[in-house]
Amino acid sequence: MVTLVVVALVPFLYTVYLSLHEMQYARVGAWAGLENYRVLLGSPRFWHSVAISALFVAITVPLEFGLGLAGALILNQGVRLRSIIVPLLFVPTMMAPIVVAILWKIMLAGSWGLVSYNVLERFGILTDTSVLASPALALYALVFIDVWQWTPFVLLALFAGLQSLPVAPYRAAQVDGATALQTFRRLTLPLMAPLMAVIVLLRIIDAFKIFDTIFLLTGGGPGTATESVSLLAYKMVFDFWNLGAATATAVVVWVMFFAFSNVFYQLLKRTLRTS
Amino acid sequence: MGERTARRRVMLFTGLAAVWALAAALPVVWMALMMFKPEAIMFERPPVWIFTPTLAHVDYVLAHGFLWNLVTSMLVAGASTVLVVVVGTPAAYALARFPLARRDDLLLFVLATRMAPPVALAIPFYLIYARVGLLDSYLGLVVAYLTFNLSFYIWVLWSFCRELPVELEEAARADGYPRGRVLLQVVLPLLRPGIIATAVLCFIFAWNEFLYAFMLGGKAVETLPVAVPKLITSQGVKWGELSIVGIVALAPVLAVVFLLQRHIVRGLTMGAVKG
Amino acid sequence: MNARRMRRAVLGLLVSMTPIALGAAAAEAWSYKEAAKPFAGQSITVLDETTPLQETMKALVPEFVKETGIKVDYQLLNHFEVISKGQADMLSGRGAYDAVMLHSPQMGLLLQADVIRPIDDLMANKTLANPDLDLKDLSQPAWDSLARFKGKTYGFLDWNYNVVYWARNDLLGHADEKAAFKKKYGYDLAPAKTLQQMRDIAEFFTRKKGEKLAGETLASDFYGVVLEGIKGGTTFWTLWNAFIKNFGGDIFDAEGKPTVDRPENVAAVKLWAEMWKFAPPGQAEYSLIDVPTVMGNGIAAQTLAWSDFVLGIDQPGKSKYAGKFVYAGSPAHAKSTTRSAETEPSMIVISKHSKRAEPTYLFLQWMVDKTTQKRFFETSKGAGVPIRESTWTAPELKASRFAGLYTAMRETLRYGRAKPKAPKIFEIMDVMSGVVQEIALGRKTAEAGLKEAQEKIVAICAKCTL
Repeated sequence: MVTLVVVALVPFLYTVYLSLHEMQYARVGAWAGLENYRVLLGSPRFWHSVAISALFVAITVPLEFGLGLAGALILNQGVRLRSIIVPLLFVPTMMAPIVVAILWKIMLAGSWGLVSYNVLERFGILTDTSVLASPALALYALVFIDVWQWTPFVLLALFAGLQSLPVAPYRAAQVDGATALQTFRRLTLPLMAPLMAVIVLLRIIDAFKIFDTIFLLTGGGPGTATESVSLLAYKMVFDFWNLGAATATAVVVWVMFFAFSNVFYQLLKRTLRTS
Repeated sequence: MGERTARRRVMLFTGLAAVWALAAALPVVWMALMMFKPEAIMFERPPVWIFTPTLAHVDYVLAHGFLWNLVTSMLVAGASTVLVVVVGTPAAYALARFPLARRDDLLLFVLATRMAPPVALAIPFYLIYARVGLLDSYLGLVVAYLTFNLSFYIWVLWSFCRELPVELEEAARADGYPRGRVLLQVVLPLLRPGIIATAVLCFIFAWNEFLYAFMLGGKAVETLPVAVPKLITSQGVKWGELSIVGIVALAPVLAVVFLLQRHIVRGLTMGAVKG
Repeated sequence: MNARRMRRAVLGLLVSMTPIALGAAAAEAWSYKEAAKPFAGQSITVLDETTPLQETMKALVPEFVKETGIKVDYQLLNHFEVISKGQADMLSGRGAYDAVMLHSPQMGLLLQADVIRPIDDLMANKTLANPDLDLKDLSQPAWDSLARFKGKTYGFLDWNYNVVYWARNDLLGHADEKAAFKKKYGYDLAPAKTLQQMRDIAEFFTRKKGEKLAGETLASDFYGVVLEGIKGGTTFWTLWNAFIKNFGGDIFDAEGKPTVDRPENVAAVKLWAEMWKFAPPGQAEYSLIDVPTVMGNGIAAQTLAWSDFVLGIDQPGKSKYAGKFVYAGSPAHAKSTTRSAETEPSMIVISKHSKRAEPTYLFLQWMVDKTTQKRFFETSKGAGVPIRESTWTAPELKASRFAGLYTAMRETLRYGRAKPKAPKIFEIMDVMSGVVQEIALGRKTAEAGLKEAQEKIVAICAKCTL
């Protein structure tokens, strides 16, 4: 535990330290106090990126959770050829995000993408633009890719959870004559609650940080339609070399999530206690 | 439930799962085809499914040292995962069982290390590592991966631990078993699906990670994802070679999941949960 | 007496001849081997960008190592990595790289951070400097605009990227198309010499599926032009140098203050945006890599693209249309006398944190040496972008199948200059490329968009260039 604390803390503390100073490229300048934060929090571009990231999370996580849970339940019912289906199903999560991004570029690129040509052009959809060039659709395309890639993760984790549940309570419920729905609501859900909460929280945090796909597919565009927080941070670090703003971003996001997880966790504890 | 209805349900679910698995895997199948497709017809419209394969891409990949990248990835991801399991399992168990003061805060703090966007932390990491000489080293990268994998592992395993009924352990303690033996002989076997599932996921995260490997690695330590951008050249993207690297990056992970899934899946007869 | 005078005369002659003899010996004796003697055995690390041509250069590096005994670790990374890793190394003071390749937009930032070592002292060092270097032969205005700043020199040319006009010869040369074009526009169909002609040709060749093109019926839509349209990338650079400047406009004035909303700029952006009507619908996501791919797939008639990409596409086996392309210099404005083109000269600079500046300088000098460059073009069989004027007349280039491309490159390079040295140029480009994309997609008018951009850029820097 001590290792973890030390290892994780040092870079993070250094980040906080940097965010409190004027950064001259990579050289630490004068003490700037909260100046970097003031500029960042006053920047509409930053809040726009937060909104985009939040919107992205709000759509993908429920989808992934719903589909993942459904899938885990189905698998748990007993499915033939499970040993082949599970790995195949899991392929998207196993691929490196950077490869996934390239793969979907091959699928969705305007005019020469596989999907673009075979599906969209053939059916005459989107004749005046392409998926990734349309401000409205680009974000949804990214949502789709994220769901494609991470639902299996949710599925596997929940499936393992279902498999790990103790048998005795279920036998007892059967003896008591509980219906499937009752068993699910009264037994499965509460037992699975901690795991489900953790998975959801993890997905929220990870989805918020999405980077690889956006970077390779849209570059944050069209305009700033898909400019997530991570992408803006990337630009601040590697294009503008504005380390003050970038480190302040890291700290702000961290604080936001810390607060959010606290609330989330308190809610979880309360639900667990009442069940 | 009648025998026939049960069987029909299984077939239905198998069918659904199979369709889902295929849909998830189809883009990857296309990518696999690209491994051997001659460049001139790579993006031909309409797309070509039958063609004379070429080994040119394979030759290029082998000639440019990607095999060594594969080995490096295995070393880094493997070491990182082992470390995470060894350090994380006792920690997760302790968090679930022992009433610690401010345990909740500690738990959340553990997760917090994962919350900030890696992009913004990359340069502070780089600067620290540059100063202590950890750049381009195996140790450096493995330690960096600890920061997000360990928290993930502890959190997920913590929830698995909570699922376990305390009674079993209390019974063993009452029988006079020391704590250590309880952990090893009673808890671990029950936790096995959880540990394996989570460890596999940690392995996948480390295996596919790009940003830290890129910034903190170098000539000596170059993992597979970092080698991918080398194929995006000013002469165009080497799609065939990219496909090979993407699929090869997938293969070991696929193998691991395929082999270990039995541990995750409890037999069809063992306490299948009617949910 | 005679003998003594003779002896004195001979002695005098000998003495007076010695400096000449020594001088002659010294002039003959300059060689890399000699110059490298004090540094033999040292190792230097050089970071350059991956291109097939740099890979050819990499194959020649062992010759330098053999001749001088200086070990060179010549690393090649791709475009984004060269920039991010190279800059991180220089700015952080880590100094793992003795020399790093820079693109011209990076100069402003790195000069302001003062991490580049000027090479004037090394160039003046008689032991190190090759007297036959012939710097006047280096491509201009590329070298001066890139490497010279406030009286100091920062490197030699490494790579001479340029954007050329690229079109389908089979379409432009088709008899029926020529007749129809002449009828509609009143002048002969030929590779565009002006931006206005490029627009006309784009309009002319944009056809829907089912219509006829060069005698055949189209199986899918065809487009008259394809340009880079992605946010970021080099979208705005091309718009800036190949369009805006040709209209007599610019985004900075002579003192470096932002002047984004000038009427000339508006006119240029309007023409550029108009071309989007004749381009594939996905243009807003096309990067500089997508554009050549689209041309290679044969769905567009013309483009402005980076010439090094052409070398990769116009090859048998790489594209069905290889051999059917024609090239020309970057187009001018029909009525303006200002002529500009988009080029991206780059150079390898010596990092201020390098402790081995002298051997590094020797290597960089060797790279641009006449002999090395000649060897380079021999090895690459004439495929490359010359950094020396004299290379254009090399037999390999004249005999190469890319002779037309070289003529186009040469013309473009006459009008291209390095980017202004503005430390915040990436932020500015980010704003501009986002704005012009929205203008092209019809979400803002050119006037409103550029006015908004002007406000944003003034907020970034009141005086933007160093």
